[in-house]
Amino acid sequence: MHADLLIDRLAQDVPPVRPGGPSRLMLAALAGGALATTVAMGLIAGFRPDLAAAMGSPMLWIKLGYALALCVIATAAALRLARPEARTPAPWLIAAALPPVLLLAGIAAGEMMRSPVSHWPAMWLGGSWRECPWRILFFSLPVMAALMLAMRRLAPTRLALAGAAAGLASGAAATFVYSLHCAEPSALFVLSWYSLGIAAATGLGALLGPRLLRW
Amino acid sequence: MRASEEQLRMLMTAGLAGDAGAHRNLLSLIAPVLRGFFTRRLGELRDDAEDLVQETLIAVHTRRATYDPRRPFTAWMYAIARYKLIDHFRRHRRHANIEDLSAMLVREGFEDEAGARLDIGRLLRGLPAKQARAIADTRIDGLSIAEASGLRSMSESDVKVSVHRGIKALAARVRGK
Repeated sequence: MHADLLIDRLAQDVPPVRPGGPSRLMLAALAGGALATTVAMGLIAGFRPDLAAAMGSPMLWIKLGYALALCVIATAAALRLARPEARTPAPWLIAAALPPVLLLAGIAAGEMMRSPVSHWPAMWLGGSWRECPWRILFFSLPVMAALMLAMRRLAPTRLALAGAAAGLASGAAATFVYSLHCAEPSALFVLSWYSLGIAAATGLGALLGPRLLRW
Repeated sequence: MRASEEQLRMLMTAGLAGDAGAHRNLLSLIAPVLRGFFTRRLGELRDDAEDLVQETLIAVHTRRATYDPRRPFTAWMYAIARYKLIDHFRRHRRHANIEDLSAMLVREGFEDEAGARLDIGRLLRGLPAKQARAIADTRIDGLSIAEASGLRSMSESDVKVSVHRGIKALAARVRGK
């Protein structure tokens, strides 16, 4: 087909486009995915029975804050990377995700200094270190699927990095929801195993990006 | 005469508001620009330029919502064109020769962001020495495979493999992987 003919055809379908569409699409995907994750978590794992009491202790808020901060950072990166001219380099994504991790590491260090060394292994491993990262990875899947579907309609050009940002956002969203289930009381546990689950979701996103996001 | 950034951005913005005439003008104006862009970079594959022009026009049309009117239009358009070009090279399992690669890495003139320019020497420094030498000998200094193999006392197939692997690594880096 000749290019002029193609242009004629394309120019027959020019609906107005509302500004900010890509951001709305991504945020809707994030919200929809998070809702699906919440429902799945409620059905499969259940919310912690002492949730109301836990709201009075700082640990729940530390978990939620950690997850929320990472989710906001990753979503902002994914929004940038959904545009073709994004020049966000990989180290930028890592550097942007670092402050919440360092802050949590500071809290964990304080916690350790206040506890006898003999308690450290129990604080680190808790009662669920084997399951925790896997569950976070599992519960990240609905959000990851939604974000990937949304991004496919946009125009990412750095596919692995865009996938990683979507994976990080979905891992963080899953962590937020999972915090309402998991009663592990130590920041060291959260820093280790929650982060491992989030990192796994990020890695999965980076692997899937080049396969799912091509256009 | 080439359309200016300002003119293209105005047409794009009008198109986003639903002005089909402006949108058609925009596509007509960028088609020859894209043709030049692809023809220059495809080397011996320049027969594929027209396919890429059309693919890019379709992408500019269907993914126009990803254009942010506060940013330069040409940077957005060339980002799409560059993505389509790299995807094309990858799909066809062929490789850009080194001149094309360096041309792809050099930003277009109006995207004059400081520090965005990469030079081929810096790129080659990131490769294993053997691959970098083989590429420099055959693709920059213009030696034949036989001459390069004599100069470096490597077998001809070793030179060929080094060039091939080196360019593959460079192409991967261009894609940002």
